[in-house]
Amino acid sequence: MLCYHRRMPEEMRKQDTCPSQRARFVRGLKLGLPIFLGYAPIGAAFGIVARGLGFTPLQAAVCSGTALAGAGQLIALQLLGAGAGVAAVVFTTAIVNLRYILFGAALSQHVTGMPLLRQAFLAYTLTDETFAVNIDDSRRETASFASMAGVGVIAWAGWVLGTTVGALAAGAIGDPTRFGVQFAMPAMFTALLVAQAEDRTHVLTAVVAAIFAIGLMLILPDPWYLIVAPILAATVATVVHR
Amino acid sequence: MNSSVIWAVVIGMAVVNFAIRFPSIAILSRTELPAWAKRWLSYIPVSAMATLVVGGVVRPDGRWLGPLENPYLWAAAVTGVVYWRLRSFLGATVVGVICFLAFTALLG
Repeated sequence: MLCYHRRMPEEMRKQDTCPSQRARFVRGLKLGLPIFLGYAPIGAAFGIVARGLGFTPLQAAVCSGTALAGAGQLIALQLLGAGAGVAAVVFTTAIVNLRYILFGAALSQHVTGMPLLRQAFLAYTLTDETFAVNIDDSRRETASFASMAGVGVIAWAGWVLGTTVGALAAGAIGDPTRFGVQFAMPAMFTALLVAQAEDRTHVLTAVVAAIFAIGLMLILPDPWYLIVAPILAATVATVVHR
Repeated sequence: MNSSVIWAVVIGMAVVNFAIRFPSIAILSRTELPAWAKRWLSYIPVSAMATLVVGGVVRPDGRWLGPLENPYLWAAAVTGVVYWRLRSFLGATVVGVICFLAFTALLG
């Protein structure tokens, strides 16, 4: 069995030089537990809105289970509700999710040498949150396929379970915004942003990205700033820190 | 809404989302990138998270909110500080949502 750990704190190395696949998977599940708790209510909100638009609970659950596209799915519902056609809906969600090309590119540097099928599974469970958690874990060199799969599985479960409960119990739950569901994503993004801001360079890069984001939101049609702002900020950081 | 339209959207989104996510992982993990490209990619996570926070906080639901009418902004500030001090993803998210409800009540 290949041990992905290349460098670990002395303390940890003494206890456990190379944990089992199972132990790493379970570690991933624990790392991803906050994502589960964050996704479940947002998934429920998606399920409720989807039911309102005429999705069956099965359709809502299959949509969440196969697309796993948070904001992309909610925007799709908005467009469907506004009477947009299938192609327009799919195209818009694609643009909302274009940033995953960047995320996949960044993640690729941490999964070199991994078999294609495993990479396909990680791609399937790639979301903003699983990406940030796995990158953070990879930087500490404690990530492996098993741990990343654990993060992916539990995030997927939260999203699909939430959607199913929301779609089945839409009437009983009522308006999910009274529980503050609409802040669950921004809250996770904020915590994950602070987790990525490991040194001065990264903090400055975050500030540059924030400025680009605001500027681009003003001049570009939505949701292009989501992909253009990170590209510009990373370019500035790379050029400045040559 | 017509069931076949919904299935078409569901299938279309599934295909498109995987098609967006997979190729860059598969191809770039098998390509030796120059040092500057690796460095560029290393700045993507922090840039992307900052962009997502800004989008979700200064213009929630597509509407710009000034500082004094924006519970998202203040709740995010608390969330960030809590994560910074405690390094707890779960703790920061839970405190953030509670603060959001409190700030929403306060700011009307």
